[in-house]
Amino acid sequence: MRNTFRKIYLALILILLYAPIATLIVLSFNSSKTRSKWGGFTGKWYISLFQDTSIMNALYTTLIIAFVSALVATIIGTAASIGINTMQARSRTFFMTVTNIPMLNADIVTGISLMLLFIACRFTLGFSTILLAHITFNIPYVILSVMPKLKQTNKSTYEAALDLGASPVYAFMKVVFPDILPGVLSGFLLAFTMSLDDFIITHFTKGPGVDTLSTKIYSEVRKGIKPEMYALSTLLFVSVLLLMLLINMSPKDTKTAKHKVFNKAMIFGRVIPVSMILIIVSGGIFYHVESGQSGSEQVVVYNWGEYIDPDVIDIFEEETGIHVVYEEFETNEIMYPKIQSGAIAYDVVCPSDYMIQRMIENNLLAKIDFDNVPNIANIDPDYLEQSTSFDPTNEYSVPYCFGTVGILYNKTMVSDPVDSWDILWNEKYNDNILMQDSVRDAFAVALKRNGASLNSTDVSELQKAMNDLIKEKPLVQAYVIDQVRDKMIGNEAALGVIYSGEAIYTQQENPDLEYVIPKEGSNVWIDSWVIPKNAENKENAEAFINFLCRGDIALKNFEYITYSTPNKAARELIEDESIRNSSIAFPTAEDLKDCETYRFLGDDVDSYYNELWNKVKAS
Amino acid sequence: MNKNRKLLSGPYLVWSIAFIIIPLAMIFYYGFTDETGAFTFANIAQMGTMENLKALGLALLLSLVSTIVCLILAYPLAMILSNLNVNQTSFVVLIFILPMWMNFLLRTLAWQNLLEKNGVINGILNFLHLPELQIINTPYAIVLGMVYNFLPFMVLPLYNVLIKIDKDIINAARDLGATEKQTFLKVIFPLSLPGVISGITMVFVPALTTFVISDLLGGSKILLIGNVIEQKFKQGSNWNVGSGLSLVMMIFILLSMAVTTKYDKDGNGGAF
Repeated sequence: MRNTFRKIYLALILILLYAPIATLIVLSFNSSKTRSKWGGFTGKWYISLFQDTSIMNALYTTLIIAFVSALVATIIGTAASIGINTMQARSRTFFMTVTNIPMLNADIVTGISLMLLFIACRFTLGFSTILLAHITFNIPYVILSVMPKLKQTNKSTYEAALDLGASPVYAFMKVVFPDILPGVLSGFLLAFTMSLDDFIITHFTKGPGVDTLSTKIYSEVRKGIKPEMYALSTLLFVSVLLLMLLINMSPKDTKTAKHKVFNKAMIFGRVIPVSMILIIVSGGIFYHVESGQSGSEQVVVYNWGEYIDPDVIDIFEEETGIHVVYEEFETNEIMYPKIQSGAIAYDVVCPSDYMIQRMIENNLLAKIDFDNVPNIANIDPDYLEQSTSFDPTNEYSVPYCFGTVGILYNKTMVSDPVDSWDILWNEKYNDNILMQDSVRDAFAVALKRNGASLNSTDVSELQKAMNDLIKEKPLVQAYVIDQVRDKMIGNEAALGVIYSGEAIYTQQENPDLEYVIPKEGSNVWIDSWVIPKNAENKENAEAFINFLCRGDIALKNFEYITYSTPNKAARELIEDESIRNSSIAFPTAEDLKDCETYRFLGDDVDSYYNELWNKVKAS
Repeated sequence: MNKNRKLLSGPYLVWSIAFIIIPLAMIFYYGFTDETGAFTFANIAQMGTMENLKALGLALLLSLVSTIVCLILAYPLAMILSNLNVNQTSFVVLIFILPMWMNFLLRTLAWQNLLEKNGVINGILNFLHLPELQIINTPYAIVLGMVYNFLPFMVLPLYNVLIKIDKDIINAARDLGATEKQTFLKVIFPLSLPGVISGITMVFVPALTTFVISDLLGGSKILLIGNVIEQKFKQGSNWNVGSGLSLVMMIFILLSMAVTTKYDKDGNGGAF
């Protein structure tokens, strides 16, 4: 009876732990790219995974960092634990307090504080800074694993060994170490796994061109996780599982052998996993060296996640011989401080309109030499004209993509006509509305609904917008950025605020969806390429921009990312007439007559917006 | 001899000063200065606003609840595991560490799939003609996410301590006539206290400071103090206020640490 209860309990916990894992494994065989729809069984992601060099590179970077940081942390941590254990209560408390800091502090604070340190010491952010950060947060895990074991060791046995003539080192190795070994090993394992699993600290301490799996996944969230990621996770998981089974099938000694360190089971249990890790890591180093070989010419690109066709980068490298170091960001607000601090010298960056204005005003951008960018002639003059709202002289930026913000709705779930922002306040759609989780987009909706400008600085207009957003909040199912796509495809919500570029993709996946720009007007945005002042390879950056402005290349990008292109040569090349003339992809001047671009409103107004938005979110 | 042993913690001392203390000092510097570098208390005072207090309160509540849930779930589990006749510790450890080999962000995203209105769990419930589970985008989903993500941090230290308890002591207690309940309360539990404390520390604080879980499972509708600080750093790029708020949050972390150190000592007193 009692045993059955135990088994049921164990089973329930295991279900809790492994249900998401099972979900991910199932998703890795889903032939549809979106996570909300089952498109049939496929194994193709497992093949394309190995052709994806960026994922494989991220995997090996992750493994090397995890292994090295865990190893160093285990050595420093175990030594420290032994030292701490012999200390007086006061210094012990001091050490344990210091140890607890990285564990107890918010990861984001640890990450930022280390970033501040690295920048202050003029370290180049990159592989080595990630490694240092990982060792730092791994040591406490080792200490906390070893300390309880040390506390449980019997001091008398150690003293007895000394009395019997053993040297302190010998006595330690023979008496204390075997007792704490499980703690040391689980500390190493924990450190390895924590390093593998860390995202936030890596995010703040990494430089361009270096990605771990976590940061790679995070940058992919914008466009939806690549199914290859599910495949890779499944492979990692299954290989560890197999390893575990292998260990457990090895010959078991009787219980009395438990205390001997070097018996057969131990050899199977410890030596095999360690040697496998070594093989993986050395393979990783080899792979890393292989893929890292490149000419001296390079260009460091900083772009939105999933905002370029990877083939385009390959073609560029092939044609020009310039090596592309590619880095992605999630929002303008994450990108800006990195450029401002100058910690990393990016050569070419793709921010949005208002952020470009802010960068120009803060003197962070270099003028582009248009003699090196003859393909600028392919860009529709209308969009250059529009760019003057944030780049008045057209000297700093080259338009890359544009679009509008509108409402995506599910025709089967919405009975009313959708032509106004008002519908987002309609109580009929309680818990069926998805809002954008960004300050400016959320306020744009509320301001436009009230007939105000989305660049309003009027306190009463902003207060009213805030109150409206607070009123709307109970109806909102979730504030999302990119998940809006998957949720709308999966029929999770009836209405969602979305960027026009995403709308085209969602319609392909779910024909019930329709996109409108509400009659009160909306935001029209432009993302453009700019060159930061501290760029080290300005001419290569210009060559890169010029390349992207080529008609055939712009077309490739349009087909891949589905965001509207201002490139008229590319548009003429589009074969599918319904897309070439789509009012979503290429809105007419009539569609856009009430639409505005965002402008940077100054730091004070900016923080006022943020303050109001925080009130909405906290309400 | 003890002196020599103390020297072993030397590398760690240097390391922690360079990579823990100094960076922390920089946070203090940012927290007490404004953009121009002048001294100010304004960043700290930001915690006093209604929104931030609410976010802090909610974070404390949810992390407390998840810590308790973790402890309640983990203790029997660790006891069951420690009584299993498994020769290799690594097996038990791996069962709980294994899920972490799937990326944290992916695992949490997978809970979205499971919990959504048209998600897997509701699919099963519908099939069985049971009422639907509507917890996605509510605090319940966040607690679930916290418990799910941090449960291993509770199980492992508990297991590590319980496996070390001498079975003879338990048998002795029984021989002397103690009931199951008495054996547990008077023998097993006091001996496992270091593990309990370390488990609580390892769950409570990451739960208190998380922002990813509340973001992904709370639909960004529910702000915890971690979200507020993250916004200050990322969206507002106001590092000074962000640092100030982190400093206030660290008071609560220090409080929990003080409590744990106190009980840790008591636990040791009993153990030696």
